[in-house]
Amino acid sequence: MFRRKTLLVMMCLVIVVGLIAACSSNSSNSSSKNATSSNGSSNTSGQTDAADKIVDIEVWNGNTGFKAVEKGSPMYNFLAELLGVGFISPYVEWNGGTDYLNALNARIAAGEMPNVFLPYNGNEAELARNGAIADLTDLLPLYAPKLWELIPEEVWNIVKANDPTGQGRIYWVPGIKSYEKTTGLIRKDWLDALGLEMPTTQEEYVNVLRAFKEQDPNGNGVADEIPTGGRENARWMDHLFNQYGIAMVEGFPDWDIYDGELTFSAVSSNMKDALAFIAQLYKEGLMDQETFLNDKATWDGKIDSNLVGNYFHWGQGAYEHLEKLELGSGVKAEITVLPVIEAPGYEGKGFITTKQLGNPEWVVSAQQDEEHLIASLKFLNEIADESKWYDIYMGVEGMHHEVVDGKKVKLPEDKSTQQNSVSPFYQWGSMEFQEQMLLDSASEENKWRYDQSVQNMKELQQYVKVIAGDGLPSSIYDGYPDIKNNTLWYEYATKIIIGTYSIDKFDEFVEKWYKSGGNVVTERAREWYAKVK
Amino acid sequence: MNKETSSKGLLSNVRRYWPLYIMSIPGIVFFIIFKFIPMGGTVIAFQEYSVFKGILHSEWVGFKNFEILFRSPDFYRIFTNTLILGFLKITIMFAVPIILALLLNEIRRAVLKKTIQTALYIPHFLSWVIIAGITFEIFSLSGIFNTIREWFGLDPVLLMQQESAFRWIYVFTGIWRDAGWGTIVYLAAISSIDAQIYEAAVIDGASRFKQMVYITLPLLLPTILVLFLLEVGNFMELGFDHVYTLLTPMTYSVGDIIDTYVYRTGIQEARYSYATAIGLFQAIIGFILVMIFNKLSNKVSGEGLW
Amino acid sequence: MVSLSFGEKVMHSIIIIFLIIVGAIAIAPLISVLAVSFSSRLPVELNEVTLWPKAFTLDSWSYILSRSDLWRSFAVTVCATLIGTALSLLITALTAYPLTKPEFKIRSILMIAIVITMVFKAPLIPYFLTVKAVGLYNNPMVLFVPHILTAFNLIIMRTFFLQVPVELEEAAVVEGAGYFRRLFSLVLPLSKALLATLGLFYGVAIWNQFQHPLLFVTDPDWFPLQLKIRQFITNDNELPIIGSIAELNYNSRTLRSVAIAFSIFPIIMVYPYLQKYFVKGALLGSVKG
Repeated sequence: MFRRKTLLVMMCLVIVVGLIAACSSNSSNSSSKNATSSNGSSNTSGQTDAADKIVDIEVWNGNTGFKAVEKGSPMYNFLAELLGVGFISPYVEWNGGTDYLNALNARIAAGEMPNVFLPYNGNEAELARNGAIADLTDLLPLYAPKLWELIPEEVWNIVKANDPTGQGRIYWVPGIKSYEKTTGLIRKDWLDALGLEMPTTQEEYVNVLRAFKEQDPNGNGVADEIPTGGRENARWMDHLFNQYGIAMVEGFPDWDIYDGELTFSAVSSNMKDALAFIAQLYKEGLMDQETFLNDKATWDGKIDSNLVGNYFHWGQGAYEHLEKLELGSGVKAEITVLPVIEAPGYEGKGFITTKQLGNPEWVVSAQQDEEHLIASLKFLNEIADESKWYDIYMGVEGMHHEVVDGKKVKLPEDKSTQQNSVSPFYQWGSMEFQEQMLLDSASEENKWRYDQSVQNMKELQQYVKVIAGDGLPSSIYDGYPDIKNNTLWYEYATKIIIGTYSIDKFDEFVEKWYKSGGNVVTERAREWYAKVK
Repeated sequence: MNKETSSKGLLSNVRRYWPLYIMSIPGIVFFIIFKFIPMGGTVIAFQEYSVFKGILHSEWVGFKNFEILFRSPDFYRIFTNTLILGFLKITIMFAVPIILALLLNEIRRAVLKKTIQTALYIPHFLSWVIIAGITFEIFSLSGIFNTIREWFGLDPVLLMQQESAFRWIYVFTGIWRDAGWGTIVYLAAISSIDAQIYEAAVIDGASRFKQMVYITLPLLLPTILVLFLLEVGNFMELGFDHVYTLLTPMTYSVGDIIDTYVYRTGIQEARYSYATAIGLFQAIIGFILVMIFNKLSNKVSGEGLW
Repeated sequence: MVSLSFGEKVMHSIIIIFLIIVGAIAIAPLISVLAVSFSSRLPVELNEVTLWPKAFTLDSWSYILSRSDLWRSFAVTVCATLIGTALSLLITALTAYPLTKPEFKIRSILMIAIVITMVFKAPLIPYFLTVKAVGLYNNPMVLFVPHILTAFNLIIMRTFFLQVPVELEEAAVVEGAGYFRRLFSLVLPLSKALLATLGLFYGVAIWNQFQHPLLFVTDPDWFPLQLKIRQFITNDNELPIIGSIAELNYNSRTLRSVAIAFSIFPIIMVYPYLQKYFVKGALLGSVKG
């Protein structure tokens, strides 16, 4: 017995020793941040000029599951040639941002910040205040002129105004929204089947919803239609809110001018009317009763199963639904833009919310030497070059795309083989580029889907309005995380709509919101507005 | 006993029983490195910790983080919810594995026993995301629950939106996922019981039920007590994933617990000090409870953790 | 075997039926996961799959099983589990045994300390820095070293050790056996059920670990299974996927289901082997012997 145990122990030790030996030969391969540069590019044409040396930088940009990019890998080589920079990107779990943030903070605590990375949830403010990220104001025009030119001056001015150190400097590179993507969408083929006109007033709209519910537009003999709906937390049903002139981005209430002052839309009187209306829809069964239990997969599933008449999402994303509708239910649907409806008392006041200033996309570490700093800026400069976007989008041959008849065709998304990349076209892209990307993917048989998508993308722009809260920094919420998270809003909105609370509870919500920090936040927001606008 | 005698007592104890001390060295070292040293970092609960400044240079704020917690308008709600769910956890959810183990023990056919046991512990390996997803499906309009209601002519009900249902769903899913796994320890304990005791009882004419109550249960008591004490220690910890995945804004009033609150306001915001302070608060309560119950246990049964 | 009375027989049957139903309910989620794993992409997206596959296909499985990096993860995890479990059992036994001896003066203090470690958790960043300082950052050994001891398992082991009849050890003492001999030659062999149980607990903890490797392992070659599997769990991206979607017969949900099933099956395979230690009467004859 004793011997058996000793044997076991010795076995352990042997294996442990073996592992140590194995891992010490492997550990040199870990992703390095300030790695030594290498002359890997074949473009150098014999020059050993410092400007042509490929410097490696570690980039973190929120990976949704694609493979890491290590030194010497296909993507590394591809980008080294295209951008002249050694792009190294480890796999960092995203998980809604929380794991990413933790990993980032762990690295910062250990003194090993990545060279260039995506800030998250407003941590760029703290990074700036602690001098951890570089002041880009003068560096950008000098080392990243393409990026400097790409982003409009007004946007840079807002970034300067939002400087957390209060000195009007630029610490991050924002994304820009040159066009709005979201809109209400409706099954035009259902309208046609029932002989209905596209609704413009609320009365017409509700009648359409009722018709969807009662007259079996999907033609299967079962009353299974869901006229409209959305997802949990009362999100992705903005088309019901925006009738009332409510500023809302992807289902999150936002800031706009109400009664002459910058106010959070959720506590405006418009919101009370909107909620009353929506609660009525829910009560009458014109809204998916499970709206607030729907996650993205569930709601999309219902849309794709030919059950939903009207939803709110990306106009240009219609092709995905059209494909599944055809494959699953055999129907060639027509999904078109639902105009912003005229609600009683709010005629002409409805709009689709948009903002021009996007979220902060890139920050540059201040804890690196000059060589790497310049390389970081060069990276940003090159990805801002629109002429390179197509190649970046197409990626590595054999991995992200293949060449068919001399033309590049994008391969299906495959997280096991495809490496992570960058998406400057989403961060700063124009509608034209998006159109080109879409039509490129089309084949003869499925072009009709992409045509609809492009059509939607263009048509929704007429309803768009830039809200006053465009550019509002998230620092106004400092110290009030539950205001930032909209926790109170979710609770009251969902309960009012499903009828647990009567609409009168809305006033209670407003009072609570202000009392639990909303008044401080509003004050800060108005201060900012006065200063900046 | 004065200090000199007790330290002398320790030294002589070490000298006399040195193998015991040698044996415990690896464990002690492990705990020091991986538990106690990091635990020292709990001081950040009293700081405004910044990853840039590190522990040594971050500002000290005393009890400010705790004040923020106690003054929060939600505090009463999250604290009460945590207590209630915690109570359900150490009563119902604690008792079920014991009962299941006793019942499983009654099966004689080995193959059947093995199969059922295996089936029972499988959900433990599925993440809460999956179990919660399935729970939502079961209670959806097209799910089993409402389908059965239809058979009986009842209107469909969306239970996951109802405050009144949340706590029961918490208990039900907790049992569903972890009760089977919890039987393992008890089954191991039961199997260590000398079979001769049972044989003697049978000869005395004891029914199986009597055997269960007068032999199995009492002999299982030390194990049950210890596990109970350990549960109590983690009283305030209701399993973040468990509650988080089942929670919807419509059930916040009964389901929002300290852990979910910390996640929203502390962890997602990377407010490490705040999160640590709240964790400390929970741990202190748990520890006090363990001390109380340990004393009780010692008094009542002579057994305890220390 | 003494035969049961009629009443007992009925009770017995009821119990068995009850347990079968409970077992079926318990296993339902896994059936659902398996059903999705064998279904085609479209029915899954239309939320049509519940307990049975729709449009049966092996595509998801063949895709997963053909990924060599997944197998490497699998191998890494198996090794870490085997080594880690053995090491954990050894050290836990060594630490638990003295805690059962009243003559061990620091016994109470250690118990309190242990319970403290269980109740008071260390915050993330200090823990990260400590583990890094010990040299375990980016070191494969981080897959099992931090798991060597848990307070819970330690206390359970101690509780079980306490139930070994005192007479047995006294007999060994009379024969001149020291503490080490008593632990390894007497107590441990009698604790097979316990070792099987804790082996299972430790093994599963290492097998399923996710938080640790997330922070401490950056080299994808050393990713353990659960971390690797996470890569298949997309955060539902709002971005519509551009590119030919229809060609693939699987999506992230089917792949995730395969990955989950893939990671569970080894444990299901192992358990029956441990089961035999949970048989009643393992101590039979020991008192007499």
